[in-house]
Amino acid sequence: MASKWFVIKRLLLLIPVLIGISTVVFAILHLGGNDPAAVMAGQGASQEQIETIRSELGFDDPIWVQYTRFLSDVSQFDFGESYVLKPGQPVWGSILADKLPVTIELAIYGQLFGVMLGVPLGVLSAIKQNSLTDHITRIGALAGISVPIFWSGPLLIILFANILGVLPASSRIDTQYFIEGPWAFFGHELPLTGLMTIDTLLLGNIDAFVSAVEHLLLPAAVMGIYSMALISRMMRSSMLEVVRQDYIRTARAKGQGQKITMLKHGLKNAFIPVITVIGIQFGTMLGGAVLTETVFGISGLGVILVNAIQAGDYPVVQAAVLVFAMLFTLVNLTVDITYSYLDPRIQQ
Amino acid sequence: MAATNWLETRVRIVGGSLLAGVAIGALGLLVGGVRYDSQTVTTQLFAVGALVFGFGLLGWSGSVLLGRSIETVHRHLDRESDWTEASSRRAMARVAGFGGGIMGAVTVVGLLFGP
Repeated sequence: MASKWFVIKRLLLLIPVLIGISTVVFAILHLGGNDPAAVMAGQGASQEQIETIRSELGFDDPIWVQYTRFLSDVSQFDFGESYVLKPGQPVWGSILADKLPVTIELAIYGQLFGVMLGVPLGVLSAIKQNSLTDHITRIGALAGISVPIFWSGPLLIILFANILGVLPASSRIDTQYFIEGPWAFFGHELPLTGLMTIDTLLLGNIDAFVSAVEHLLLPAAVMGIYSMALISRMMRSSMLEVVRQDYIRTARAKGQGQKITMLKHGLKNAFIPVITVIGIQFGTMLGGAVLTETVFGISGLGVILVNAIQAGDYPVVQAAVLVFAMLFTLVNLTVDITYSYLDPRIQQ
Repeated sequence: MAATNWLETRVRIVGGSLLAGVAIGALGLLVGGVRYDSQTVTTQLFAVGALVFGFGLLGWSGSVLLGRSIETVHRHLDRESDWTEASSRRAMARVAGFGGGIMGAVTVVGLLFGP
């Protein structure tokens, strides 16, 4: 298991990463040259009104004052108020807090799809190297890596929703279900998670759960195809390298069956580079969520980010980018800790 | 003694680029002030400094987090280059110092003479 110091060191390194990201986001938005006060005031506003808004929001303060205020607010998870999408409403409380679970749920199921198909396909491909199964898997992986989300999404919608009619094409759940908290746990009332598949189970509504899963299948598959392809390729090459190691030959020479040798000794060691790919892929998926959410009409963090950029709602853009970055760094921290569990030498 | 050396090395690495950043920042304010209004110059120059500083900080933490793994991968793939974790860390510290210098120069000049 990961040592305490290893985890603490990794957690401490998150601080400069997050300060760096916040600073870059702040810099880019200020280099853009757009005036947030003018955006907020609207097209017909007079110069006097724009100046009033600028003064109220502190945009007339020196830039170093704005920077320190921005860092101080962000460190307290205060991303300010929305200018355009929900004027005057707190960005975190009224916009991002609701949308974040939507994107996280999509990314988790997309990743699950990728891992659950990619790992067995990669192992199978390595065990049956140069067979028909291997060739088919490799062609499939190549196709999966090459197909962009904005093409595979509509294609799957046409096939499964329009032609076959077996899966819904958009939204997160059927309109007949109304999922609202709180839920009771041993007499205590707890808030819902925002993850539709979990919340329906917490509320004990199995029909709604089935509907939520049905609605997630297509977007998760679209997000997971690329990940599955990459993982299966990585798993195959990693497995092929591991099966040539002396310890695998020794295990086989001692009479251990091929299946047990592969699963017990081969898989764990071959997993180390694959976990890196899974970690990095999670970050890519968060980026892919922007496209997937748009194609499937799901209102998550990605759609909000695009809307905020189009509307010039800077606090929302800053907050959304920072939340994406935080998620990415946290996933990478988890990957690091998993590494050290699989191979304790990494801690040194 | 060891602690002094440790600190001295780091101060030398960051200090040199910080001073260079301060010089460039001050020069930028002078040159930019001739053509544009002071508010625009300070904002844009500070933002450029912040961009460089943020990039350096990200690069530095990335080098610390992943540098040794990248070195190992290079060795493992038999593709050894002159790139090392330590050199990358030092370079990124210099970049961050340079950006911080620009930000510092803009702030100090702004505080002394008004934005």
